[in-house]
Amino acid sequence: MVTRIVVVTSGKGGVGKTTSSASFASGLALRGFKTAVIDFDVGLRNLDLIMGCERRVVYDFVNVISGDANLHQALIKDRHCENLFVLPASQTRDKDALTEEGVEKILNDLKHMGFDYIVCDSPAGIEHGAIMALTFADEAIVVTNPEVSSIRDSDRILGILQSKSRRARDGLEPVKEHLLITRYSAKRVDEGEMLSYKDVQELLRVPLIGVIPESESVLQASNAGTPVIHTKEEDAAAAYQDVVARFLGEERELRFVNFEKPGIFKRLFGG
Amino acid sequence: MSKPIEFKAGTLSAMSAIIRELDNVRLADSMHTMLGGLGEFFAGEATVIDLTQLTKAPDRADWVGLLSLLRRYGLQPIAVRHAPEHLVDSARKAGLAVLSPEAGRMTGERTVTAPTAAPAPAAPAATEPAQASLDMTPPPANVSTMIIERPLRSGQQIYARGSDVVILGGVSNGAEIIADGSIHCYGPLRGRALAGAQGDTKARIITTCFAPELVSIAGVYRTFERGIAANLAGKPAHAVLRASTAGQQTLNIETLQLD
Repeated sequence: MVTRIVVVTSGKGGVGKTTSSASFASGLALRGFKTAVIDFDVGLRNLDLIMGCERRVVYDFVNVISGDANLHQALIKDRHCENLFVLPASQTRDKDALTEEGVEKILNDLKHMGFDYIVCDSPAGIEHGAIMALTFADEAIVVTNPEVSSIRDSDRILGILQSKSRRARDGLEPVKEHLLITRYSAKRVDEGEMLSYKDVQELLRVPLIGVIPESESVLQASNAGTPVIHTKEEDAAAAYQDVVARFLGEERELRFVNFEKPGIFKRLFGG
Repeated sequence: MSKPIEFKAGTLSAMSAIIRELDNVRLADSMHTMLGGLGEFFAGEATVIDLTQLTKAPDRADWVGLLSLLRRYGLQPIAVRHAPEHLVDSARKAGLAVLSPEAGRMTGERTVTAPTAAPAPAAPAATEPAQASLDMTPPPANVSTMIIERPLRSGQQIYARGSDVVILGGVSNGAEIIADGSIHCYGPLRGRALAGAQGDTKARIITTCFAPELVSIAGVYRTFERGIAANLAGKPAHAVLRASTAGQQTLNIETLQLD
């Protein structure tokens, strides 16, 4: 199959890009696709921590661009998934070390190595690192919290995707956009404190690929260095499974978006 | 075998930059005030530097500085008209054609003003009149309507020069849509909309869902700090300049009955 490059971006920081990149890439690998996930956050690398491979980083993205190492030396095989490989970012260099030609060469080399999907974990912001992450994207997952500043920033990054991606510059079919809402609390939406996923979708006008509920399991997973999607019997994990399924064209009903008030006994006696 | 080059005489449409003072510092200031906000106001139009109204001819002119200044705003100077005798040689050296009075004659001139040249706020209450910098010259001949098929996102800015604009999909907060004609927005209008940018007071802003940050027609603008009236918010509406009894123009927002 033709390699697809998917950027996970948001504009706003701290909304769940790296968490989502890790689980999304893992989900694809679990389905049998040869997947690479690349950390574009030069200087503030996190993906290696979330994936649990921080002690195995020898060479990084920038090393490969500057020719100090080749891809085979830099790619880290994930310990949870057979088909998943991680390309960590450099912690000591700065983002100017990322050049468009350098990034393009690495992505082409990955294509030649037979990868089905390349997931690009973007840094926050709209500066060079974020631009490099989205430049070569075929599809984009825009991670958004149901909160006004995140929505505004997601809107901004969508505009930038439409103008600065290679597809836009070369007049090709536009980057396919997906909206991923994270840190969703159906209870707070019900109480009128939080924007509902419908409100977010109405403001951003991008097809919804999933809603990930707020969950304590996310923090536990990142401490353990295991992407959330591997956690058994957790809502967030199930929601990420749904995202992967929808991405691959399967129909899945939206879960974890309806709040059911606990019955009288539950409210009196807890549980 | 056809010749590699051929010469033909004809007429050309050009922009006139009527300069009254050949003082580059003052010109830079003035241009910044007039055009500063809009980076791409001009689009490389061939420009004739018109010195007919020069109040006082300096001993020498810094042509290089002047050409660089004009180019910064997107103008492409090609000639000078009515240059004082002693400046003709230096103008030619700077690469400008020096037009004789007959050659430099212009027909069909129209004033060009920047959209936010002298913005005048509309009064908070709909009944109070607003000051307007009314330029009653007709808008440029209608270029075909610009149609935008995607939503305009935060941080993006579109300028429909010489025409109306139709936008399908809405204008997000932090986005800006400007037109010399009217603005038709099918979708939520949440950003800034500036119609009649060159002074056309008949321009309108029409939308199926009224929720903007700012609307302006021919420089008369209004913001909505205290919120939008309940009968208008999120409803189909249009902004229009209407003449009040005092003979002034007020920026009204009126609902539209669509069904």
